[in-house]
Amino acid sequence: MLYVLAVPGPIEDVEEVRVLEWHGPEGRAFAVGDLVVELETHKALVEVRAGQAGTLRRIVCREGDWQDLGKPLALFADAADEPLPASDQGLAALNVEFEVS
Amino acid sequence: MTPLAMLRAMKRIRAVEAALAARPDHGFQLFSSGEEAVAVGVCAALKPGDQLLASGRAIGPALARGVAPRLVMAELLGRVAGPNRGKGGRGHMALPGAGFFGAHAVVAGNIAIAAGVALAAQLDGERAVVVCIFGDGACGAGALHETMNIAALWRLPLLFVCDNNGFSISTPREAALAPRRLSDLARPFGIPAATVDGMDSEAVRDQAIAFVRHARAGKGPAFLECLSERFESHSTATRETRSAEAMAAARARCPIDRAIARLRLDEAAVARMDAAVAAEVAAAIAFAEASPLPDPAEALGDVV
Amino acid sequence: MSSELGARKVFFREAIARAVHEAMSADPRVILLGQDVGAFGGAYKEFQGLYEAFGPARVRDTPVAEAAMVGIGAGAAAAGYRPLVSITYMDFLVLGLDALVNYAAKARFKTAGRLTAPVVVKTTSGAHGQGVAHSQCLESWLMSVAGLTVVAPATAADAYGLMLSALDHDGPIVFVDHKRLYPTTGEVPLDPTPTPIGKAAVRRHGRDATITAHGYMVRVALEAAARLEEAGIDCEVIDLRTLTPLDLSTIAESVDRTRALVTLEEGQTPCGVGTEVAFRVQRMVGAIRVARVGAMPAPVSSNPVLEAAVVPDAARVLRAVHRMLDA
Repeated sequence: MLYVLAVPGPIEDVEEVRVLEWHGPEGRAFAVGDLVVELETHKALVEVRAGQAGTLRRIVCREGDWQDLGKPLALFADAADEPLPASDQGLAALNVEFEVS
Repeated sequence: MTPLAMLRAMKRIRAVEAALAARPDHGFQLFSSGEEAVAVGVCAALKPGDQLLASGRAIGPALARGVAPRLVMAELLGRVAGPNRGKGGRGHMALPGAGFFGAHAVVAGNIAIAAGVALAAQLDGERAVVVCIFGDGACGAGALHETMNIAALWRLPLLFVCDNNGFSISTPREAALAPRRLSDLARPFGIPAATVDGMDSEAVRDQAIAFVRHARAGKGPAFLECLSERFESHSTATRETRSAEAMAAARARCPIDRAIARLRLDEAAVARMDAAVAAEVAAAIAFAEASPLPDPAEALGDVV
Repeated sequence: MSSELGARKVFFREAIARAVHEAMSADPRVILLGQDVGAFGGAYKEFQGLYEAFGPARVRDTPVAEAAMVGIGAGAAAAGYRPLVSITYMDFLVLGLDALVNYAAKARFKTAGRLTAPVVVKTTSGAHGQGVAHSQCLESWLMSVAGLTVVAPATAADAYGLMLSALDHDGPIVFVDHKRLYPTTGEVPLDPTPTPIGKAAVRRHGRDATITAHGYMVRVALEAAARLEEAGIDCEVIDLRTLTPLDLSTIAESVDRTRALVTLEEGQTPCGVGTEVAFRVQRMVGAIRVARVGAMPAPVSSNPVLEAAVVPDAARVLRAVHRMLDA
C-alpha cells in the first residue's frame, strides 16, 4: 500500500513549511520512531518521525523547497518494489509523529 | 592638575557665572556656584580622550573640562560662535572634541546616554573613561538604577558622579531619597562607591583619580557622591526656599576660599589670579558679543 | 525553489536576520542590544545566528530595562557606533521614549550637527491574541517628532531592504514590524538591495479608489481589493513603507487619478497615519472623497471575539470603500 507524507493542517499561524533535511534517500526503510525529515515553520523546527514502518519511495519536496500544509512532501510504501502511482490523489496519509522545538 | 590650576578653574567658573548673572540678557540659567569643586575635582582626574556628560547645571562642568570661556559664553548668550551655534544653550551645550560630550537638561536623562558612550569606549578598546555628573534630584529616577545595573553587568568604564547639593529645587534630599548616603545606591550592584566632601576640590580629585583608574583598568563602573552646597537658588527663575542663615552657612563653606587657605596664598597672589580671571571673562564677553545671533532660518536646520 | 530569478523565498524573520548579518559583516560598528537577542536568537528568531557569528561583545542580551536600552543605544550611536536596539513589543517602547525623543531625535539639532545619534530602534506592533498591553500600534505617535525617521515594512523584501537602509541611516530611526508578518514568507533579492527610505510602493494598480496602508494592513488592503474587484470596483493599493517622511508624491499621483482615498491602519484613527496622509494629499490634489479606517476606539483584548471586533479586517475596508463611493 502507498501513503502520502504530509503535515496536516490547519495549524494556527502556519501556512507553509520548508524542508530542511531528509534523513534517508529514496529506497530507505524506516522503522517506527525513526527520524524521517526535518521541517521548518516560521517559528519552529519540526522533526517528523515515522509512526509506522515503511519505505521512502519518492521525495516530492527537496531540501530547501516549500510546501503548504496538507500537501505531499513524499510518498511511502509498505514494500520497496510496489509500483508508484501516476498521481498521489486518494492515497492514505502516513502515520507520523511530530516533535516541535 | 595642580591645586593652583584647580583654584584658577574654580575662580573661572565663579567669575563667568557672575558676569553672566549681571547681564539683563542672562536668560534661564542654573548656576554651579558653590559646586565648582565637584566639576573641577572630577575633571582633574581625566585625560584627553575621556568624555564628560553633565546635567542642565552645565556651566561648571563645561568650563572645568576645558571648554574655552569665550565658547561657553557665546553659547550661553545664544550666539553663532558658540560650539552649538547658540542652538543648545546652557542645557545642551556640547563640544565632544574637547572631551565635553555634552549637557542634557532632562534630569537623569544623560545617564543612560553616558553608559552608551562608555559602551562605545569599551568597544573602541582605547581605555577611555566616561563620566556623568548628575544631581541628587536624579537619584530617584529609574534610568539611574537601570543604568547602574547594566554598567555593572557589562563592566562599563563609567564613573557616576552625584553632585549632591542637598536639594532638588525645593525638596531637601532627605525628603526625596530613602538611603542614608546616595553612594549606597550603587552598592547593591557591586559598584565601588564613596561619599566625599564636595567643597574640597582635592578630596574630590583624589577619589576621582582612584575611581577613574579602576574604570580605565577595565574593572567596571564606580559611583562618587560629592556633598556640595548650592550658593544660589535652583535657577534664575526659581525662588530660594532656604533661610538667610542657611544660605550664609552654606556660603561660609566656599570651596574657593578653602583652596586659597590650603595653598596659603596671600592677598596679592589672589588679586593677581582674580585679575587674570577677570581678563579672561572680559575677553569671553567681548568674543560673545561680537558674534551675531543665528538667522531665524537656522531654526529649521540640523533637524534630520 | 524561488519563482523569480535572483531572489529567494524566505520567512519574514529570515529577511531581518539576513539584513542585520550583512550590515554587521560590512561594518564593525553595528551592534545589537535587546532582550533575548543573543543565543535565543530573538523572540521571533529574527536574530538567529548573529550571536554565533559576531559574539557577545556585539550581540548583547539586556535586562528588561527599556529606558536604559534605548539610552545606551542612543549614546553609543552618538559616540560613533550603529546600534540596533530591539524592543520586543511596541507597547513598551513608551518606556524608552525619553532617550529616543528627548535625546536621539534632538541630538543633531541641539549640537548644531556636532553629534548625531544613528540608532535603529526595531519594535514589533500589532494585535495577535496577547491582550491590551501587548497589541498596540503606536507608530503614528512618532510621526510628529522632528528629527525621527519611521519605517514600516509589509513584505519580507522590505523587511530586508528597510533594515539595510535603517542601519545605514545617519539619524535615529524606528523600524516597526508586526506580529502577524512573522508567519508570512516572501521573495528577497539575492543581491544586497536596500529599500529607499521615503519611497512608497504601489502594490496593486487601479482606477476607482486608492487604499493606503502600511505593515500587516497592506495584506488586508489587498484582500479587500480582490473582493472589491468581484464587485466591479478597481482599487489601487499603496504600501507606505516609510511613515516619516511620507512619500506624498506617489500617493498624490494616485489619488489625483482616482479622486477617492481610503486610509487603512491597525492603529487608532485620531491623529493617526491616515489623518496625516488624507490631509496632506488633499492639500496637493484638491477636494476628494476620503475615508479613514483604523482600530475602533478601544483597547484590544486578548479575547479573540473582542480583538476581532476592534481590529480592522477586509470586510470593514470593503464597507468603507462602498460607503465612500456610494455617497
